[in-house]
Amino acid sequence: MSKANASQSAPARQLLICCGTGCLANKAAAVAEALEAAIQAAGANAVVQPDALQLKRTGCNGFCENGPIVKIHPDDVSYYKVKPEHAEAIIASIGGEPYQALLYRGDDKQPVTRQQDNPFYAPQHKVALRNIGQIDPLAIEDYLTSGGYQALRKALAMPPARIIEEVIASGLRGRGGAGFPTGIKWQTCAGYQPTPKYVVCNGDEGDPGAFMDRSILEGDPHSVVEGLTIAALAIGAERGFFYIRDEYGLALHNVQAAIQAATAAGYLGDDILGSGRKLHLEIVRGGGAFVCGESTALMASIEGKVGEPRAKYVRSAERGLWDMPTVLNNVETLANIPYIIANGGAAYAKLGTEGSKGTKVFSLVGKVNRTGLVEVEMGATLRHLIYDIGGGIKRNRPFKAVQTGGPSGGCIPAEMLDLAVDFDSLTAKGAMMGSGGMIVMDDHDCMVEVARYYVNFLSEESCGKCTPCREGLRQMLRILTDITEGRGQQGDIELLERLANTIKDASLCALGKSAPNPVLSTIKHFRAEYEAHINEHSCPAGVCSALCVYTIAAESCTSCSACKRACPLGIISGEKGVPYSIDSERCIACGSCRDACRFDAVRPIKKERQVVAS
Amino acid sequence: MSQQLTITIDGKQCTCEKGEYLLDVAKRNGIFIPTLCHHEGLGGIGSCRVCICEVVARGRSQVVTSCIYPVEGEIEVFTKNERIKEQRAIILALLHHLAPASETISQMAAFMGADLPRLADKEGGEKCILCGRCTTACEQIGTGAIAKCGRGVTKEIATPYHQPTAECIGCAACANVCPTGEITCEQTDESVTIWGKTFEYLRCSCCGEPFATREQYEFAASKRHLPADPDTAAATGQDPEPLCEACEKRATAQRLAKNSIQFVVEP
Repeated sequence: MSKANASQSAPARQLLICCGTGCLANKAAAVAEALEAAIQAAGANAVVQPDALQLKRTGCNGFCENGPIVKIHPDDVSYYKVKPEHAEAIIASIGGEPYQALLYRGDDKQPVTRQQDNPFYAPQHKVALRNIGQIDPLAIEDYLTSGGYQALRKALAMPPARIIEEVIASGLRGRGGAGFPTGIKWQTCAGYQPTPKYVVCNGDEGDPGAFMDRSILEGDPHSVVEGLTIAALAIGAERGFFYIRDEYGLALHNVQAAIQAATAAGYLGDDILGSGRKLHLEIVRGGGAFVCGESTALMASIEGKVGEPRAKYVRSAERGLWDMPTVLNNVETLANIPYIIANGGAAYAKLGTEGSKGTKVFSLVGKVNRTGLVEVEMGATLRHLIYDIGGGIKRNRPFKAVQTGGPSGGCIPAEMLDLAVDFDSLTAKGAMMGSGGMIVMDDHDCMVEVARYYVNFLSEESCGKCTPCREGLRQMLRILTDITEGRGQQGDIELLERLANTIKDASLCALGKSAPNPVLSTIKHFRAEYEAHINEHSCPAGVCSALCVYTIAAESCTSCSACKRACPLGIISGEKGVPYSIDSERCIACGSCRDACRFDAVRPIKKERQVVAS
Repeated sequence: MSQQLTITIDGKQCTCEKGEYLLDVAKRNGIFIPTLCHHEGLGGIGSCRVCICEVVARGRSQVVTSCIYPVEGEIEVFTKNERIKEQRAIILALLHHLAPASETISQMAAFMGADLPRLADKEGGEKCILCGRCTTACEQIGTGAIAKCGRGVTKEIATPYHQPTAECIGCAACANVCPTGEITCEQTDESVTIWGKTFEYLRCSCCGEPFATREQYEFAASKRHLPADPDTAAATGQDPEPLCEACEKRATAQRLAKNSIQFVVEP
């Protein structure tokens, strides 16, 4: 992709176009081509000569809903939602007034030129994502220019124990979910004698809505390669693996290219930078099983076995891949390593909270105004994330809950918005950090349905090896489905709790042990909603289609016809000046009309209950 | 000599070697822990979770699976306190609704399972509890004809694509280790039918009793680096004639008695 020649002096200006998966889906490739054409077309007449302008395709900027994003350096101008037809205007504006139509407009509707003034980016502190969006992931020169592989040079001059000390001093905890101290894991593994040892990078990101690992692998693959190489030096491994899910096509491509480039440049291979140390890295493609993100299932999968976890009474640091000492770290964890070695563990430990050092990348999605990838210091409050960075709830609806930590995380209610987010605070509230997913929900979300949704996901994605997880989830799913469809019975909540406690304690792996979290946390914080479903056969949020239908409140209806256009059944009628109405006999309560209405005129009412056989 | 440890199980002092599995220690000390997926010959699989115990180590308590939990320190173990009884009861109730047709599971569930009528039987559930004994046995024998397929609630034991497979040698080890009798084989004097395939029995050249399928004999021969076909083996004299286990034993004893005088101690 990169047409830059590293040996030439860098052009005065860079045009950085985001080519992460999100932006590519929004035609970023066509935008890049249009920009290239526009540069050539402007030719000699342009203010900026073509050879003084370098077009660079970068990784994901994290603000995907506003992509494709184009940034101009060093002018520090950022454009959003760029289309190919904007190319000429962008090129013409270089060196002069920014092109107003494509600037971001914040909460006050004022245009924002610089990225660091954008309310989405301003509060962020980037460590793991430090290079993404600034460099061309396929150009190792770019990574080197931004300080890449300096940490590896430094590590090669350090005894392994010193590297480990530095990582321990940083306080870095594994970003994959469990939060185990990375340095301690390395130290444990380094202490075992048997060889060969292995290092593994876990890139099997599976939480719905989470994409921080994909973004790093796509946008800054060398940082992960460097991190993994430093881990290998620390424990004495000479072979390592990237386990990346096969759906991540661009990530696979970019990591493969990075391994090749790093090997060609001597940062990998039989003699790393002339040190005599070896490391060979290869990529294993995951087949799309959520459970293969669990470290022992992942290792079984690399070995060619069924992706089932094993009990961790003996840690992987002692007996992991092929029963040999193995260090497995998550993508984001490894991306932090070069920063820690280059700047020192103490510098990293200045960031974050007492028990959770550094920064964390969250994928903020759901009913917030600004969604995307955000990296903040540990200890940021949920309110800061959701209201300052996320810009609050869509259409100013009330915040109801946030699901943290992916499908097996927990729901945190509005009373806890001021919770400072770190590994321990989330666990204490019955949720978890997980890989950093944050799904924001408003008053149009039914918490019983949310629990049912996650349990359904987990019952399909459990490996199915042990009884409590597989059978417990099957039964919980059935009971939750009954409740959402009006067949809930007295005692169901207590039974769900009993099943949940057994699944939590007696399951084999972390998937099973955390699977009941969505059920337990919603029962804890939203018990009344469960009771309404069971006792009154009503869904207070107006979501469960077996329990409610929609009606249009005449006094609020402006006859704008938005609901009529949204209705998939065509059962909404009305005309200008007259309130619209819904044929409630045929309404399936899909919610399309309610989402479309800007005046809160569409309201759920309790469905007349027919006797439903259990 | 490995390290000796003293642990407490249900208040009883028990000594064991470091690394020994908790279930084995309990059994040796006469403490009963129920099991389903564990089999003497196969070791612990850790899938049924019926053998769970509570372990308190350095003040921290956790529920462990005793068949695969290696004792590494001085721990206190509870095999049937309230917490374990409750969880074991729920696990047995879950298994009962997974395999409603299994007598074994029904009896165990009636004895120590929870009565949870709100739970529903698995659609199409018969006797299989997905414990994995059969697949472990098949894998350990070295054929790998059956495997756990799919994941989550749709997991099942099957041959590839549910088709009769060339890998299966008709040894019926899977059926022999099945704790609930889900896996069955139809046996006659001439043949055995299992996993959708019929295998012809070989007869012992000495006593004439059927003793193994031809495929099973050939598989065993290949492991001993002998010609796979028994007729060729007999012709080349490498493996005289197919013998059943009892006759093979007798023949070996006679051979030893004839050739190896040093083993015979004259009175």
